[in-house]
Amino acid sequence: MDVTVAEYIRRTVLKIPRDEIKTMLQKWGFLSETQLQTINFHQIKENISQDVVQLCEENSADIKQAAVLDIIYNHIYPNKRVWSVYQMNKTVVCFSCVTGEETEFFDLTDFKKKFKRRLRSALKNVTINFREYEDNAVWIRIAWGTPYTKPNQYKTSYVVYHSQTPYVFISVSVLKSNLPLLCQALVVASNYHDIHEMELRSHSLNSLKDIVFKRYSQNFQTYYPRPLQERNVAPENGDLRIIQENRNEKERIQRVNQEVFGDGPQPKLEFAQYKLETMFKSDPKMDVLDEKEPFRCLVKFSSPHLLESLKSLAPAGMADAPLSPLLTCIPQKARNYFKIREKKGFFPGSFVSP
Amino acid sequence: ARRGAAPGLAPAMESADGAVRTLPSIGRLSRGPTFGRAHGRFGLSPSGRLLPPAPRSQENADPQRTAFLLRKQWTLYSVTPLYRFSDARLRDYARLLSAFIAAEKQKGLAVEVGVELDIKVSVSSLPDLKGSDQDQAAILVQLSSRSAASSKNSEEKLIWSGWFCCVSGDDLSENVPEDFTCLPLFLANGGESYTSIVGSWFQKTFDCCFRRLAISPLNLSWMAAMWTGCKVDKTASAMELVFSVPCLPQPLNISYAIHPEDAKALWDTVQKTPGEITQEEVDVFMDCLYSHFHRHFKIHLSATKLVKVSTAIASAHCDGIIKFLQSQYLTGVLMLLTELAISQIQ
Repeated sequence: MDVTVAEYIRRTVLKIPRDEIKTMLQKWGFLSETQLQTINFHQIKENISQDVVQLCEENSADIKQAAVLDIIYNHIYPNKRVWSVYQMNKTVVCFSCVTGEETEFFDLTDFKKKFKRRLRSALKNVTINFREYEDNAVWIRIAWGTPYTKPNQYKTSYVVYHSQTPYVFISVSVLKSNLPLLCQALVVASNYHDIHEMELRSHSLNSLKDIVFKRYSQNFQTYYPRPLQERNVAPENGDLRIIQENRNEKERIQRVNQEVFGDGPQPKLEFAQYKLETMFKSDPKMDVLDEKEPFRCLVKFSSPHLLESLKSLAPAGMADAPLSPLLTCIPQKARNYFKIREKKGFFPGSFVSP
Repeated sequence: ARRGAAPGLAPAMESADGAVRTLPSIGRLSRGPTFGRAHGRFGLSPSGRLLPPAPRSQENADPQRTAFLLRKQWTLYSVTPLYRFSDARLRDYARLLSAFIAAEKQKGLAVEVGVELDIKVSVSSLPDLKGSDQDQAAILVQLSSRSAASSKNSEEKLIWSGWFCCVSGDDLSENVPEDFTCLPLFLANGGESYTSIVGSWFQKTFDCCFRRLAISPLNLSWMAAMWTGCKVDKTASAMELVFSVPCLPQPLNISYAIHPEDAKALWDTVQKTPGEITQEEVDVFMDCLYSHFHRHFKIHLSATKLVKVSTAIASAHCDGIIKFLQSQYLTGVLMLLTELAISQIQ
């Protein structure tokens, strides 16, 4: 067995939490159950990985098999990587697409063949692996080399393609220069015409899927201010010190929040970025800057769970309810990178996001 | 000579969470005159502040000599006046501190586990770093390591730096009895354990007290306003404010960066009195930025905590961490920090 393959397998096993190693090796299926029985999974990881490498040696593992183990690891722990969302489209020329009648049969074998051929025609030194999962997800692992060097197994790109949708999730690789080639190969293999990057990025692959596949609980985007309802409520037994207005306001905030964010859990995003090129407007009596040029800003929000965090701002008294549509539209618009310019027209307070 | 440090008090340094400590030199203070609350030019919440004048020593100063202070992260401390410190004895101090460090290592309070390091101490003066003639010149302490195994020829690696300074600290130095030296600001870069050892030695030797110097959101706003107004030659970096909202179920961080030209244009229309900045002007400046933000996001930044300010001149963090980015404004920033340190001492 190649020394580099042995080392790669060893390092991959070391990444896995100790309690998960056996299950993952079983999923991998490269080592037989009998072989797995011989490993003591209670020893320290260093030793477990050595034992695994030893057995792989006996089975003469090559890089392709090692790569499969890597895919399995990344499929179970996708949140260690940052994922960007891409959308493929066909041009209008394709009539059946427009009418939406078409439900193309997805030929996986054909896809794989075309993909490999496209990549390899441009770059001979690549390692390509595929693995199919439930819900029509095709995982592709690519290790990149150069015309003169073998593929670097530690510099990999991952692609997750849901064949019944035009969406592709790509794990941003270190070698960004290979991205155009990768995109090309995807388009060709899937019979689309082109591909563009959506402004949507996150560590949480599942949340990205939730957003683009609209799997989260939807909410009403437009907020219609409700007329104040007169309520004749008898004061609660005893405590007349409860201030009615505050309670009304609290309830209003909760209600508005629910309308705007929906009932269910929010998709998990870590950041949102806004490039502002709007005009600075001040209180006229402050007598300050009154420029005709945009006031250029870059605003970045970050949180372990951004949308939940934003949702809690109004109840905490730090924001108005409803929160700005610039923030609440994130799942709807399926983007977390925005460029905001002033909208010229009737409503100086409203913004356009291109 | 060792003065009477109160027995039983650990020489450990003030921790970052700002735990209040009793001054070991409490006996010292009772002898001298009490330090009255000096009326500083940059007080805690003044109605007005004079704009820092162009650094007096700028013409003579060689920016190369202080270049090594730039672009490093310095942790800030306030230091009470040093008793019987002499800048003629710097070599002696280096020797004594070196022996102290060696002794601490022997005791098992070694800083780097498993590494045999031979630590060399140097204590020197930085005459360029002062504001007025009354200021004591800055004192620089550096620890370098040389692996014990190799000979004298092996390279020395700088592992820790700390410097004391006083820039326009007249309000303190004017009120201090003769035996005392005022160097109220201390800046450290390097391992915390080294900071602790060096600080302990100074505390023991000169009967002074170190305390972490936190920077309040109010003072951070001042820095944001003042530094935005500074003229910078080259293409400046953005003026960035970082806010933190920790008490939510999911904490939130907001970075609000403004193009430096636009930020300066705004400040220039706000700042009306030449040569002076008022609290009101700082408030208006910040309110403008907050309301521009609110207009877009409906979030009240004033309800959040301002934790960091970054401009082309310098960046400052509320935990008391500073980074100097422009040598021509080094003294100006130090003047403000000296004032904050003096406020904390008094």
